Amino acid sequence: MKLTIERAALLKALGHVQSVVERRNTIPILSNVLISAGPRGLALSATDLDMEIVDETEAEVEAPGQITAPAHTLYEIVRKLPEGAEVSLSYTGDDPRLQVRAGRYKVNLPVLPAGDFPAMPKDGLSQAVEVETEALIRLIDRTRFAISTEETRYYLTGIYLHPLVEEGREILRAVATDGHRLALADMPAPAGAVGAPGVIIPRKTVQEARRLMEDAGETVSVQVSPQKVRFDFGRASLTSKVIDGAFPDYKRVIPQGNGRVLTADNALFAAAVDRVATISSEKSRSVKLAVEPGRVVLTVRNMETGQAQEELEADYDGAPFEIGFNARYLLDVSAQIGAEMIELRFADRAGGAAMLDPVLVLDPKDAASQFVLMPLRA
Amino acid sequence: MPIRRLPPDLINRIAAGEVVERPASVVKELVENALDAGAGRIEVQTEGGGLARILVADDGGGMGPAELPVAVERHATSKLNPDADGGYDLLRIATLGFRGEALPSIGSVARLTLTSRARGATDAFGLTVDAGRLEGPFPSAFPGPHGARVEVRDLFYATPARLKFMKSARAEDMAIAETLRRQALASEGVAFSLDLDGRKALRLPAERVGPEGRRARIAALLGGDFADNAFGLDQTREGLSLTGYAALPTYNRGSAQHQYLFVNGRPVRDRLLGGALRAAYADVLARDRHPLAVLYLDLDPALVDVNVHPTKAEVRFRDPGLVRGLIIGALRHGLAAAGHRASSSVAGQALGRFRPGFEPGAHAAGASAWREGGWSPRAAAPVSPSLPGLSGVSARAEPWIGPPDAGVPDPQDPSVPPTQAGAEHPLGAARAQLHETYILAQTRDGLVIVDQHAAHERLVYETMKAQMAAGGVARQALLLPEVVELDPADAERVSGRAEELAALGLVLEAFGPGAVLVRETPALLGETDIAGLVRDIADDLTENDAPLALGERLAEVCSTMACHGSVRAGRRLQASEMDALLRTMEATPLSGQCNHGRPTYVELKLADIERLFGRR
Repeated sequence: MKLTIERAALLKALGHVQSVVERRNTIPILSNVLISAGPRGLALSATDLDMEIVDETEAEVEAPGQITAPAHTLYEIVRKLPEGAEVSLSYTGDDPRLQVRAGRYKVNLPVLPAGDFPAMPKDGLSQAVEVETEALIRLIDRTRFAISTEETRYYLTGIYLHPLVEEGREILRAVATDGHRLALADMPAPAGAVGAPGVIIPRKTVQEARRLMEDAGETVSVQVSPQKVRFDFGRASLTSKVIDGAFPDYKRVIPQGNGRVLTADNALFAAAVDRVATISSEKSRSVKLAVEPGRVVLTVRNMETGQAQEELEADYDGAPFEIGFNARYLLDVSAQIGAEMIELRFADRAGGAAMLDPVLVLDPKDAASQFVLMPLRA
Repeated sequence: MPIRRLPPDLINRIAAGEVVERPASVVKELVENALDAGAGRIEVQTEGGGLARILVADDGGGMGPAELPVAVERHATSKLNPDADGGYDLLRIATLGFRGEALPSIGSVARLTLTSRARGATDAFGLTVDAGRLEGPFPSAFPGPHGARVEVRDLFYATPARLKFMKSARAEDMAIAETLRRQALASEGVAFSLDLDGRKALRLPAERVGPEGRRARIAALLGGDFADNAFGLDQTREGLSLTGYAALPTYNRGSAQHQYLFVNGRPVRDRLLGGALRAAYADVLARDRHPLAVLYLDLDPALVDVNVHPTKAEVRFRDPGLVRGLIIGALRHGLAAAGHRASSSVAGQALGRFRPGFEPGAHAAGASAWREGGWSPRAAAPVSPSLPGLSGVSARAEPWIGPPDAGVPDPQDPSVPPTQAGAEHPLGAARAQLHETYILAQTRDGLVIVDQHAAHERLVYETMKAQMAAGGVARQALLLPEVVELDPADAERVSGRAEELAALGLVLEAFGPGAVLVRETPALLGETDIAGLVRDIADDLTENDAPLALGERLAEVCSTMACHGSVRAGRRLQASEMDALLRTMEATPLSGQCNHGRPTYVELKLADIERLFGRR
């Protein structure tokens, strides 16, 4: 195998695939990237057995062939090469190492045979559906913050992406929750999406796919099967296993009749929450919201550092009540609101019972996103 | 198959299976008999791990020829007396034994010889029981004015199967010694001696009955170290009285073997004790370290049922919660009061490490290392000459010549209040910081070395605990209440303690027969493995009757946060900062050790230092 490629192109291709490779592996070949030189140019693939990313790029191929070499080392080398350098990769049967040359620099890297590189089977995937990249990015960004990190509830450690028909409209929906809050985002279902199975896309896959979308074209082609999901971004493609579990019935926990509506300036609200929470060093920064007609008072009380309070104008005209939240959850949700105003809908139940009911947070300009927050009791 | 009545000797052999498990249980039964007979001195000799021969001799009341054959009969005892109506009350048992099973059981599986002279009698009598066959009574020789000698030979020869299950003679010897030690801890007024294969294993003189004698007996059995590093307990609540000693957290062990509980003078192994000790020491000791404790619980015999176990190793309290609360309360109280007694053994060990007469080369290397460590030797100069004659003199009295940034007080700095190294400040005045890690303080009669990180971590942790206690544990409601499957008994136990758990931030309720539904979790734990937590709590409730796991997890988070939020080793402290740390430590209970039972400071008395230099 022998090929020549411009440094920037190689760096970009390696950058696309190398982050899949885990830093430490028990199977040596998983630390390697598969380099395939063929008539269509250079293809790089990397895998962690759960996910595979393949990147195809143009290169001058002198001799086709395949070999694997350490992914992180190769990436670091190429990154440090001077800009504009021509890089040649060659592997001949004579020298059992991959030779990388650029100008007066050369290095020999250990290799492992390409035949041992685990390939991810692509069988059973559905017909490709073309999804607008912008819309898909929005679905991910609106929901990924709520993905659970607790491995014992593995079925919550991803984004549940599924098509559905609601009130006669065909929707593609993303939902994520960690059991304390939930984020939901909709988009009109692209042609051919309805009928495909819903999948729970693991956190790492979400992260990698989101990264590759930056370099993707107008649309991303998506294929799913009950076990796998595949994104095709043009030159790069990602195939991943999905989480084998049932996503809980999230519709049940989205409050329907929350009638106490509070509207406030989102930026001021977030800044106020952040300011009052500063005095709390704990992980669970508990913020108390005292809601009255026309205003909301935010309070954080800390035994050691005292009490912080800020009053905020708000649009509310019901009976006064108090409710507590984790400050970080409020800030996370507020960051998702694109509009000037944030809308919080509280349950109507009187007294302390409402303190335990889920709260709906809405973006007045974006009817296709909903957030649910559970209160905190101190 | 026809149903048969079993012959008495077979009944005894079956009973022996329960009562006489191994040689140590023979010793236990016979020593209990001796104590019940009012002995003042008990002598035990064994051979071959007790399988060849066990002799227990006492100077108790003894028995006459008429009583002897009855004594070896099953269900015959002098320890239960009928009341006026001829009824017996098993709920009020004040003696160690009462079942009347020991002697016949032993006699059914071994060759038993019993000789005795009753108090006031001139003649002594004896009898033998050989695998259940009684011979005697016949006149016999007896050394001493009154008492009884029981000799057991060839234990288990009549039950070869049991013999096969015996461990090595050494292991049996150790079990016998442990049995006797346990009983001796409870009966300080009785002299004990133990000879194993002719070797003197134990010689305990009779002590005066009372706390002093008890202390002497504990010191004799558990070592003087324990006595020096233990605090006394004495609490009474609702007719229960708890006395005894428990070790300072810094004096801990790797196993829970040295935890003794005596209920009305009876040594018992009760899981209640382990759980109570763990709960009481929870945040001063790492989970895998165990405190030493000798606790005596005295209560109305009617409040405890000792008739639940053939060898009476377990008891049942009518109100276990009260007993538990009493033990934990007394221990916590004692720990808080003793918070400032760093383990003397720690200081002792430290002293042992000092070696006079450095090699000149080593000394030079040491000196340069000190300077690199950021400690100015010049600044130390005024400290050393002032040491011997200094008693309660203000640290200010000495003119300081060290540079102000060398970790010693700057006299010109008005913001530093003068510190009196007097009795009101047990941790003294900070003199210097060594290696940017240890604070050296001078007290009225010695010096104190403080590990700044360990000490500050403990202080931060205590503050957080106080905050948690005052503000309550914040609870995060769950969007998706989690159903945790448990076995039905566990589920009931856990949901039965819902109120207690809610106070710690875990809100749950019963969910069908074999599950609980968790609605809220402690916010401090963040996103947590709820099922794992609930299962741990269920295990704790089964094992220790207290949901220790939850408190421990919260404490763990607090202690991690305390670790990150505290002054690290390597941070240079100003004199005023060091003094402030010392003053806060004095004001904070339980600041004598870190969260893992290691000391936060060591105190060296002037006398110890003088000894190092051969002045004493």
